[in-house]
Amino acid sequence: MADATSPDSIPVVEVPPEIRRQTFRHAVFMVAPFAGLAAFFLFWEFYVRISGIRPLTLPKPSSVLIHVVENPAFYWHHATVTVQEAWWGFWMAFVLAVLVATGMAHSKLVERAATPIIVLMQSMPVAILVPIFLLWFGFSSWPKILTALLFAWIPFVANALTGLRAIDPETHELLKSVNASKWEIYWRLRVPHSLPYLFSAGRICIGLALVGAVVGEFFNSKDGLGNTARVAQSRLLVDQLWGSVFVLAFIGVTFVLVLIAVEHRVLRWHSSQTVV
Amino acid sequence: MTQPNDTAAISFAGVSKWFRPKGQLVHALSQVSLDVSKSEFVSLIGPSGCGKSTMLRLTSGLLEPDWGTLMVEGGSPSEARARKHFGFIPQHPALLPWRTVRANVSLLCDINHQPEAEVMSADDQLDMLESIGLGPFVDALPSELSGGMMQRVSIARVFALRAPLLLADEPFSALDELTRVEMRYLLLSLWERSGSTVLFVTHSIPEAVVLSDRAVVLAARPGRITKVIDVPLPRPRDESIEDTEEYREILREVRSALKEGWSH
Repeated sequence: MADATSPDSIPVVEVPPEIRRQTFRHAVFMVAPFAGLAAFFLFWEFYVRISGIRPLTLPKPSSVLIHVVENPAFYWHHATVTVQEAWWGFWMAFVLAVLVATGMAHSKLVERAATPIIVLMQSMPVAILVPIFLLWFGFSSWPKILTALLFAWIPFVANALTGLRAIDPETHELLKSVNASKWEIYWRLRVPHSLPYLFSAGRICIGLALVGAVVGEFFNSKDGLGNTARVAQSRLLVDQLWGSVFVLAFIGVTFVLVLIAVEHRVLRWHSSQTVV
Repeated sequence: MTQPNDTAAISFAGVSKWFRPKGQLVHALSQVSLDVSKSEFVSLIGPSGCGKSTMLRLTSGLLEPDWGTLMVEGGSPSEARARKHFGFIPQHPALLPWRTVRANVSLLCDINHQPEAEVMSADDQLDMLESIGLGPFVDALPSELSGGMMQRVSIARVFALRAPLLLADEPFSALDELTRVEMRYLLLSLWERSGSTVLFVTHSIPEAVVLSDRAVVLAARPGRITKVIDVPLPRPRDESIEDTEEYREILREVRSALKEGWSH
């Protein structure tokens, strides 16, 4: 008889069918978002066709898509304007938030001084500032960029502050035991620790920066998807109105997917990247 | 007033420390005097709140004594810290999750670069990792390691620093019993090669006896030294030492000293 602890005594069992089925489940898991999206548009399409609702109230998604595909130069031009404004607003919000959060994480005095301003900006409807930006900067891109910045920077600053501050006290003490400077602790501990928080904020801020740029364009602009939507609404160009919405949604989703891909690569060490 | 011994590696002379958490004054350490010689392994053992960890933080200069004098290598703890003369083994491995095993081991060597500090070369670090069974995991991330492996990396990290003074704050308390015993002898073998001075905080009586040259027994409220027990067991030590009568005798002595401190 084989020894109870020898390799010969370990029974060989077949892989259970439940584990085999996991591959199939994984494939279904990957396809699910696309299936959900397709189901949503199919439902919309059939609802409009069957209910007889007026196209002015709700057009068919297929007719909106056809309109976008037939006017690529028009949408490309306006989309690039909006994307540029949102892009600059997004990155300026990121830099400003990291600078402010760095100051707040290092000094209680800075934190006490900056908190009321942040709360004020958080609770104020930012859109009301756009006419003021127009007075200051005229009809340049700056009012739109600043609006995008103001929409995006609060989630960035809140998350950056949490990430920079909530470091493990034992690791902090470990670095201090070799007399690490504040700068070394910042670069080697605080900044990498804040990355998951910043990526999480980034996903939200992409949408907010686009909203900010579009709100800025609503007030006054010759270009951009906010302008195309405003003009379409005033002239009852339903396909163009919905086309602007579709293109804007497409841009937002594309940027979020790119960010998720970067996040997946940069944060491979973080528990958020583990599928449970 | 007690004078510090400037030839000792670490010298506490009548050191007292108070804390004021939430306005309430707590006497953490009272009139502690202790000399630790160069290359000596000293364990601090006692109940929770007896000031063991406070003694470590005072030694490393992360806290200042409110009363008395503390000297490290004949100077102030802050000077020793600035020269990177301390290696710290925390309770939890405290590995940076974004750095590989290899990068975590070199972390303390890279920080506060001191040209005169004789830190371990990258090749020697790899050899050490190999010798403690982490060779196949040098490029793994901490999330891919078990608790025992993480603590092994934490120990390797401190020996890579080649610091003359090692401070350990209950480093094995979160491990299961078998891993804990394994870590105890791993630390012992690495320390015997290094010749550094160690101040080791523990709750475990066997750990204190197996590892130390002296076990310092503390009592709480206020934190104070009640007894210093010599551990004259021969070195190098391995697991067979735990079967000797001499070991069991010292174990009993430490246990009764702890009980005595508890009852007073």
